[in-house]
Order: sequence, then C-alpha cells, then structure tokens
Amino acid sequence: MKKLFGIILLTLALTLSACTNAEDTFDETKNITVYTRDTTSGTRAGFMEGIGFADAATNDSLLVEGFVIKDNTGIMTSMTTDQFGIGYVSLSSVNDTIKPLSFEGVEPTLAHVINDTYGLKRPFMWMVRDAGDYSSETVEALVNAFVAFLGTTDAQDIINNNGAIGLPATQSWDDIKDDHPVTQQDNTGVVVRFGGSDSIQKVAEALTNSFTSKAGNFTAEHDHTGSGDAYKRTQDPAIKDTSVGKDVGFASRYFKDAEKIGVETSDFGQLAWDAIVAIVHKDNPLNNVTADDLKKIYEGTFATWSDLLD
Amino acid sequence: MQHVEIPVIKQHKEKRIKDRVVKIILLSFTLLSSSFIFIVAGTILVKGVTPFITNNNGLGSVSFIPFLTGDTWLIGESFHSNLYSIGFIIASTLMIALLSLVVSFPIGVLTALFIAKVAPKKLANILRTVIELLASIPSIIYGLFGAGIILNLVYNFSAAIGYQSKGGNSMLASILVLAIMTIPTITSISEVAIRSVDKNLEEGSLALGASKTQTHFKVVLFAAKSGIFTSAILGIGRALGEATAVSLVAGGRRSGYSFDLLDTTSTLTTIMLEGMKETIGLDYDIRFSVGIVLIVVIILTNIILNFVKRKVGNVNVK
Repeated sequence: MKKLFGIILLTLALTLSACTNAEDTFDETKNITVYTRDTTSGTRAGFMEGIGFADAATNDSLLVEGFVIKDNTGIMTSMTTDQFGIGYVSLSSVNDTIKPLSFEGVEPTLAHVINDTYGLKRPFMWMVRDAGDYSSETVEALVNAFVAFLGTTDAQDIINNNGAIGLPATQSWDDIKDDHPVTQQDNTGVVVRFGGSDSIQKVAEALTNSFTSKAGNFTAEHDHTGSGDAYKRTQDPAIKDTSVGKDVGFASRYFKDAEKIGVETSDFGQLAWDAIVAIVHKDNPLNNVTADDLKKIYEGTFATWSDLLD
Repeated sequence: MQHVEIPVIKQHKEKRIKDRVVKIILLSFTLLSSSFIFIVAGTILVKGVTPFITNNNGLGSVSFIPFLTGDTWLIGESFHSNLYSIGFIIASTLMIALLSLVVSFPIGVLTALFIAKVAPKKLANILRTVIELLASIPSIIYGLFGAGIILNLVYNFSAAIGYQSKGGNSMLASILVLAIMTIPTITSISEVAIRSVDKNLEEGSLALGASKTQTHFKVVLFAAKSGIFTSAILGIGRALGEATAVSLVAGGRRSGYSFDLLDTTSTLTTIMLEGMKETIGLDYDIRFSVGIVLIVVIILTNIILNFVKRKVGNVNVK
C-alpha cells in the first residue's frame, strides 16, 4: 500500500514539476513538429502552392515523416501549447494567443494583403459565360446583377464573415439595384448554375443565399468540382453546353493563359483574397520565414529549430 | 334452421380478431426495426466492396491483401491513386483499445466494488448517480476535454521525462481519453454484477473467519466475474467504436507502423472521419471498406472475449 502511494506521489510530483518549470530559453536542438491540414483542405492547397511545394497539396507521402494533422482550430490551439511546432491557418483566424510569422519580410495584415505586398495568398476569381450565351435573357440579366453584387459592400461583408478577405468596395446593393430591374421581378423557377472551386463553395453559397432574396428568389444550383471546371463549364466549347455547363464558375487561382482564349475581359474578375499565415508558439524567437524555409521545413530538410534559426 | 350467434361465441370471435390485428401490428414494427440492421449492413457492404471489384473511374481496383497489411494510408496524390492500406491502423487501433482497457478496467471494477460493498448507503446512491451522469456525457465533450486538458498534460509529462512529444497528440492521449470514457460503462455494469452475488457466499466467507477485504477480493469479485467480464467486453466495444473524441487528440498519423506511446497515431474510426465531408469518389468509398474492417474487428473481438468468458466460467448468482 505504501509502495503504491509512493509511486503515485512520485508521478504526480514529476508531472507538476514540469508545469512549474518555466523555460526561459528556447531549446533550438528540439525537432520541428510540423502541423498541417488534411489533403482535402483548400487552405492546404493554397499554402503549398504559395511556398512552391504544390505537389504536396494532395500528397501526404511528400511531407516530412511524423507530421500532425489538425483542422484550423486544432492548429491554433496546438500552437498555444507546443513550443516547437509550426503550422498555418487562414488570416481571419489569427489572434494574439499565437505568433504569426512575416512572409518574405512582409507582416500578415489585412492592409498588406489588399495592397498585394503580402505574398502567401491566393485570389478567388469568378468567370461567366459570353454575352448572349445563356439559356435565357433573364438568366443573363441575373448573372450580370450577381457580378455587380460582388462589388458591393454587402457582398464584402459576407465574404469577410466566411473566412476570406473581400476587396474594398464603396457602394451598397441598394445604390445600384436600380441598374438591374430584373431583380425586382418575380424569378421563382429561374435556375442559375454555379460551380467551380470547392474551396470557394462556402463563400459562394453564402453569397447566393443572401442574393436570391434580393433578386426575386431565383434558384441557385451549386455544383463545385474544382477550379479547373470554372473555365471548362462556362467557356470551353466542348463542355459548356453539355448537362454540366454552368453560368458562373469560381476558381481559387488566377486563370491560366489557356483559359483566357476567346474570353472577354468583362467575363472574369476577382471577388476576394484568401490569405494564409504561418504561425508558431509565442516563445519561438522566429519572426520571419521565406517560401524556401517553409518548403524545407515541410519536406523535412530542416529537422531541428537550429537548422532554421542559425 | 337459422344460424343464431350466441353472445359468448360472438365476444370470443371479436377477441380473436383483435388479437390477430395486434399481432400483425407488432410483427410489422419488429420487421421495420430489424430491417434497419440489414439495410445498414447491406449498404456498407455494397459500398465497401466496390473499391476492390470495380475500376474506380480509371484509378484501378484496390488490392485486398496490400490494403490489409500495408503501412501507408495513401501512396501518391489524393484522387489520383488507388494505393490505400490500413495495416498499420489496425495494429494501432487494437493496441489503443487494449491499453485503454488496461487503464480503465481496474479503476472501474474497484470503483464498482466500493460503491456496491464498502460505501455507506447515501454515499453509494450519490456516486451511482454521478457515474450514470458520466456515462451519458456525449463523446464530443470528452474530445474537447481531451484536446484542452489531456494534451497539455501529456505534453508536460513527456517534456518532464525528456521526450519531445508533438504537442501532446499521441497514443497516450488517446488511451487516456478512451479510458475516461469507458470507466463509467465498466463501473455501472460491474456494480450490478457485484450487487447480485449471492449473500450466502459472502456471509459464509465471513463466518469462516476471512476479513472483509479478503472476502471482497477473493469471493465477491470472483463470483461476479461473469458480469465483470461482460462490462469489459462492452468497455472495449465502446473504445473500438469511438471516433470524434479520439480524432481530436490522436494526431492523424498517415504512415508507418508505430508502437511508440508518445508518437502520433490513427485509429480505424479517425481515419474514416478525417476529411470525410469534403471528399468524393474512391477516397469516399474506401472509408466504407475501412468500416467493414472495423465491423469485422469488433465482431472478432467480441467472439474471442465471449469465448474467454465462457472458459472463465460462471458462479451461480441470484
């Protein structure tokens, strides 16, 4: 009985002593514990593309061995305990419980994203069909109204509330709705088809949920299958008129040159930014990382903190 | 001669008709509820077998033996590869379930013994209510508790013994969370088993001069072993089937057989859960296959444990 009591006391003492022992110096010999999102995450895709490691966006076997998979909130809470961890979250989640790192010397703030100096971000783009290429004039007018809605303060608020960063806007929907009389008529039964990137699905659905009630209650059909389908299903002659064709497509990257052939400049544009921030524990002396540093950390070339800090 | 219905026979006929109607209603409800198990099992079987027998939209079928013995969840790019395997996950799942039982079984049974035999009646009633409350707490709450407190504990503990753990996400954290979840199950069932031990056995032992403690450990627990074993079976069943709570503390290991307590891990349930909401095609269907493997593991564990239970034997209980 006494022996058992003694062992319990010892274990308790060991655990509690670790709690009260405050580390004043950062131990650089420790291994870097790498935190990441899982392969279906759009944030992971954006992060890996931004650091030049795009192959690892959907491929776990390219990452360093022993990484930890967590969701957005999980990475935040892990950085509050794990002194030797590094992870990434979207800019809208950053708070003062962790330390956000500057990327290539630029601090991760909203202003720096909007003036395009902060590099670790990706654009949310939209693309629509050519004028006259819609199933009806009502659908075309509604799509034009939607595109105008994307540039209003109402839309920017919705975008900001859903984790992305809206572009600066000056007018509200009420200021411009008179330019789009189609929104004042009853549009029940009219179907407008949305598709493209699945990373944007949440933002797109929030936007249409708000817009349909302002535009005569048309039906917004969402079928998000990937950024590649934004061009294919609205503009590619081989696909746009099949059953999977769409009226509005979204992409979480800039459109490639091949995707701009035959497309009017008024047929595509940007609706938001999605900024990603690398974060560490507050005790970590690191303040700035380059894309190359992050790539080396995530593929395992840098194994301990001394590799990076010296 | 006219056929005259005597009132007694008429009542008898009415009762027979009522009985038959009720029987049909009860039968249809039974068929409805029992059909669910066939519908669920059937769906999972059909969806789970398709990755092995179809071409999966051009990715090729998944090979069965490498699936069961391999050591990497997915070799290659997501949605472009069919090289799935869960061998290392099966090993971790069994290890975690067994170790969590090793932690929760002694604590649960000794708590049950205290509540059933040693505690004064009022205290026993309070404790029984507390244990029942613990058993009804949803697993997500245990998961949040684990992510908040147990991760910190394991991180500090491993720092104290000089081993760098990954923020506390480890097999040890999963074992601790599962142990906390299964203790109420084990305690309440063991307590019922202990209370139903024949009083004569106990009194006989005391009359022969044994102390109370000797009686409790050598007679009462021994007599209740059948019920206590049942509680262990149910406890390990809960541990094998827990997804949400474990996924918040396990760390999501994607490759490599690992028996390191302080390294990240994955269980069959967490690998099914993680990423499920945003995935399509083979990546989605393969989770049903993992589900089939999980069901087989649970059935096999139950069969083995029931076999051991029968071997361990049964003492006549009231």
